Amino acid sequence: MIVLSVLLLLFLSNYLVFIATRSTVSTLQGYDEMKHLNQVDNYIANLDPDSDMNMGEIDKNDTQNVYDYLNNNFSYALFTDGFIVSLPNAYDMEVSFAYLNEEYYKLNKQFEISQGKDLDFDYCFDNDIEIPVLIGKGLSETYPLGSTIKIEDPVLQKQITLKVQGILKPNVHHSNLNSLSSKQYYNFSVIIPINEDFINNSNVGLQLHGLFDIILLQTSKNEIDGLREVIQDNLGLEFNFYTQEENFEYFNEYYFSSLKIITILTAIIILILICLTIWSSLASIRLMIKEFIINLFVGLSYSKLRKIFYGYYGVLFFINLIILFILTAYSRYGNWIRKDASFSTFGLFGVIGMDWLALLAVLFFDIIIGIIIVEIMLWRIKKVPISLGVLQ
Amino acid sequence: MTKIIDLIIQEKVYKSKKSRLSILNDFKLEVNSGERIAIVGKSGVGKTTLLNILGLLDRNYNGSYTLFGSKTNDLNLSQLAEWRNQKIGFVLQESALINSLTIEENIKLPLLYAKSGEKRKLKDFESIINVIGIESILKKKPLECSGGEKSRAVFARAVIMKPQLILCDEPTASLDGDNKERIITLLFKMNQEFNTTIITVTHDLEVANRHEKIIHLERRM
Repeated sequence: MIVLSVLLLLFLSNYLVFIATRSTVSTLQGYDEMKHLNQVDNYIANLDPDSDMNMGEIDKNDTQNVYDYLNNNFSYALFTDGFIVSLPNAYDMEVSFAYLNEEYYKLNKQFEISQGKDLDFDYCFDNDIEIPVLIGKGLSETYPLGSTIKIEDPVLQKQITLKVQGILKPNVHHSNLNSLSSKQYYNFSVIIPINEDFINNSNVGLQLHGLFDIILLQTSKNEIDGLREVIQDNLGLEFNFYTQEENFEYFNEYYFSSLKIITILTAIIILILICLTIWSSLASIRLMIKEFIINLFVGLSYSKLRKIFYGYYGVLFFINLIILFILTAYSRYGNWIRKDASFSTFGLFGVIGMDWLALLAVLFFDIIIGIIIVEIMLWRIKKVPISLGVLQ
Repeated sequence: MTKIIDLIIQEKVYKSKKSRLSILNDFKLEVNSGERIAIVGKSGVGKTTLLNILGLLDRNYNGSYTLFGSKTNDLNLSQLAEWRNQKIGFVLQESALINSLTIEENIKLPLLYAKSGEKRKLKDFESIINVIGIESILKKKPLECSGGEKSRAVFARAVIMKPQLILCDEPTASLDGDNKERIITLLFKMNQEFNTTIITVTHDLEVANRHEKIIHLERRM
């Protein structure tokens, strides 16, 4: 019962350390990615949470009016993704189209390629359109460098030809602008460069979704007020525009408070774990004092006892690490089973760098906890008087 | 004969919050290899404390203790454990067996902590149990054995590493005449065959009288 409780508490503390470390690594990656956006006079759109949105009431003319205003008055970076298409591939995954304009591509350095070359944005948009694209590693077996893909584009709603110009590195990701710890992966995505002609010819879906996270470059609050009115008049939506610094502050406010809760919770669990472990070990030794002393008589030393304890806790910690790895692998591999293209990652059972780093942090944490528990236990055990009298 | 024990105790003190008990004041003991010494005395004079000190279980006293030519204060805890494993055997009362283990496992317990080179003593195991006559109970648990059988098992465990010094704490306290005789005979056989030094704490004057030397411990105020 006590061993089970210790195992459970150990697992809980390990799990909390694991998610806190992984989330921190993911957040740091998010910060690193977004630091390029964090420039004075860059403003990022955010749909006001109180704004009612009825997609059915918004048509292409409405969004086009907004883009006409944008094109005439602003320089902007646009990125939107999640347009699912049916594109056969070796992994039988659903494929997501992501669209970005040149400003976004220059601003964000996330889409690193392992083969081929960078995107071109000055392609000619006509009827025989052939757009150079980047594809995720998961599609590269089926669509190698230089190959073409004929498909009906979901936002142009016409047949287009995509030419594979570059292949993304494995597990290329993109963090959420507002929630830096969240990200999605582009192993099964097609990154399509878009220019003004493309945007003007695309449907309301791309134009509207593109607006949600649009980044206005080198502008001012006053100029943004004009855009806000245009959006309000044409789409009936209330938009806010924040600098990335403001987004960071908003994120930090709730992120650090949740991190604080996790830290406090972990500390409490560790404290209970240490107390329970030491208490149970000492209680066991008191209950088995005769056996313990007989062992000391015949040659058991405290250093051997230390080795036995380290061995015992080493096994417990190892079991926990294995369970944690299995859960992580199950969660990552589950994305492959569910054919969830946005979260499927390459690695051993889909386990990626940040998972290994978090597991390493757990291992380090366990070593520290193990040393604390064993040394305190030995310190207490050495105080148990050893005498022949105990056996009489 | 070689002197193997040179013990000088100025004072051994037991302290509690309310009292202070001082025993074994100005006690000296010198023992040569192969000697058989009995220690007798009333309860509370420090017989068990003396055995604890001789058996390297207690170093918390004022004095000095040289064992086998080495000052025990210079030994670290691991070395003390190693010496208890290899050089000292404890013959205790019949209850000093681990009930969850079989008699064989109890007897082989010192081998668990022995250096790998010492594991060769496993070969001696059969000859020892033959001499002691406990072949039939090896697979039994202590609770399934008689008092005499358990005493012989405790004895077997004490001698399996062929120690140079055997410390006995009331080894015959709960045994009947035959079994008492058997244990004493085995002890002295070890003494004669291997020149093993034997120090026995006992209340039994008949047992004490069969030793070469008897030390009477008294409380000195």
